[in-house]
Amino acid sequence: MNTAAGPVNIAVKVLLTLLYGVPLLWILLTSLKDSSDVFGAETALIFEPQITSYADALNGALFSALGQSVIIAGGTTVLTLCIAIPAGYGLARTRGLPVSIGLGLLIALQMLPQTANVIPLFQLFGDWGLLDSVLGVILADTALLTPFAIILLRPFFRAVPHQLEEAAAIDGAPAFRTFASVVLPVARNGVATTGTLVFLLAWGEFLYAVNFFLSPGTYPLSALLAQQVSAFGIDWPGLMALAVLTSIPVLIVYSITYRLLRDGLTVGAVK
Amino acid sequence: MTTHPLPARPRPKQPDGTARTDKSKAKRRPRRRSRYAFTIPALIFLAAFSLFPLLQLVRMSFSDVTSATLNGAWPFVGLANYVAGFESGVTGAALTRTALFVVVVTVVGMVMGLLAAIALRTRGHWSNALLAVMVFAWALPPVVNGSVWKFLLADDGLVNTIARATGVTETALPFLYDQYWALGAVAFVNSWAVIPFNALVFRAALLNIEPEVFEAVALDGASRWQEVRHIMIPSVRPTMLVLLVLTIVYGFRSFDFIYVMTFGGPGDATNTLPFLGYLQAFSRFQFGLGASTSVVAVLVVLVLAVLYARSIHREESE
Repeated sequence: MNTAAGPVNIAVKVLLTLLYGVPLLWILLTSLKDSSDVFGAETALIFEPQITSYADALNGALFSALGQSVIIAGGTTVLTLCIAIPAGYGLARTRGLPVSIGLGLLIALQMLPQTANVIPLFQLFGDWGLLDSVLGVILADTALLTPFAIILLRPFFRAVPHQLEEAAAIDGAPAFRTFASVVLPVARNGVATTGTLVFLLAWGEFLYAVNFFLSPGTYPLSALLAQQVSAFGIDWPGLMALAVLTSIPVLIVYSITYRLLRDGLTVGAVK
Repeated sequence: MTTHPLPARPRPKQPDGTARTDKSKAKRRPRRRSRYAFTIPALIFLAAFSLFPLLQLVRMSFSDVTSATLNGAWPFVGLANYVAGFESGVTGAALTRTALFVVVVTVVGMVMGLLAAIALRTRGHWSNALLAVMVFAWALPPVVNGSVWKFLLADDGLVNTIARATGVTETALPFLYDQYWALGAVAFVNSWAVIPFNALVFRAALLNIEPEVFEAVALDGASRWQEVRHIMIPSVRPTMLVLLVLTIVYGFRSFDFIYVMTFGGPGDATNTLPFLGYLQAFSRFQFGLGASTSVVAVLVVLVLAVLYARSIHREESE
């Protein structure tokens, strides 16, 4: 194998480093700037770091938004896994026409534009009294992510050898106990990968939050950010501080699960 | 962040002939049938919160629904919403814009994804760190990435500052204010967000190539380009079709970067079909019209879903 990096190879890597490194660095730098330094060419890299944006951002409103984000993303992850784990297992261990139809339906559902779901859900949640409630957003997010979670989980359950279950079945364990005590521990990597992705997606979801919550007072972080960035006269340091604070939990989850994301998503799910 | 699970491929290295013996075992053991029960919670939940809303959307698209009548009776108007959308030219224009948008996202996302995978295939600190940064950028919420890019592309933002300093332009380039620039800029940022995922998938396929293959062609004196052309590209081809459909779908259903960076503007320059449906319903309160636009978008997705199912089928049989 030609392991030495060729010139094209290096050029691609430089380009990617600029494309992905600079924006991430830029959020951080800007969030530490004073408003007057934000657009100055000479203050682009050299400036007096300020934490005023953070101090301003860290108020009661932010903490309540953080709380909403944690409840929504956490609740969505738990509910989605509770529904998708058994379904992924069920579809991994059955065959035939109903399964094919079910899988086709799941593929179609996970591809639907979210903007098409939000219209009828807004109307139905109005009827069902679920507007302006955390529960409504969790239910909508779960409906959005469950098809994806089932499709992602199914191959992990298929990879669990039948022999393990048969051994348990000989001992007379009922199907559900076999599943919970034998199959689930073997497929834990798949559950962890799926749980991580569902959490990250629910953390960033803002379309349902913006439309179902009737006032910004109850918005989660993602919705707050979406609302502020589309407003006129953007306070960039404040916005970037909010962006950094929104990203910190993502960074934590990411640094714990990077290997899972890198390998589990592709090697685990593709093969 | 975007992601799509990829189809399961046969696992040649695993000593499990399980898939094949499934049927005969199922005949011997009627208890296998009980596994259907595991899907019941998902069935009930999705019927209530996915399928029923979808039916409601279709019904809405054939009715005259405004914010006033949203939770009241809906007068049936047949195809009037669809006719209004197409006759005003709005739906057609949005379809054209969506096609342009999808082409940019797909071409840039696929080409750069493959290039990145090839460049990052070699191990080393730089490759490892770069891959980690790219995956992190992909894991960040689109609303965060969109905000940063809106800032970078602003009149006084970093990109324009550099462009002016290097003499590329005198006045700021109107990335988000000119109708053509805006569509291109948002499409570019969308592909920026999908490149890491595509690179991961391509990289996994490249890592599957046995090192001996490279050693053998190195002995034959193959150039680096020949390596790419005759070994790497054929080895990612089975994945490519599936990934292509996924990237097209991703570009088509994208709304978050549009929402954050341009909100469909300037004018209606970045109103792709799914976003147009949203605006019609939630900014102009014409829920019937918005529903009809969304149904057209759903139909496009259904076509893509069929293509996807067929490409998985082809990949699994390869």
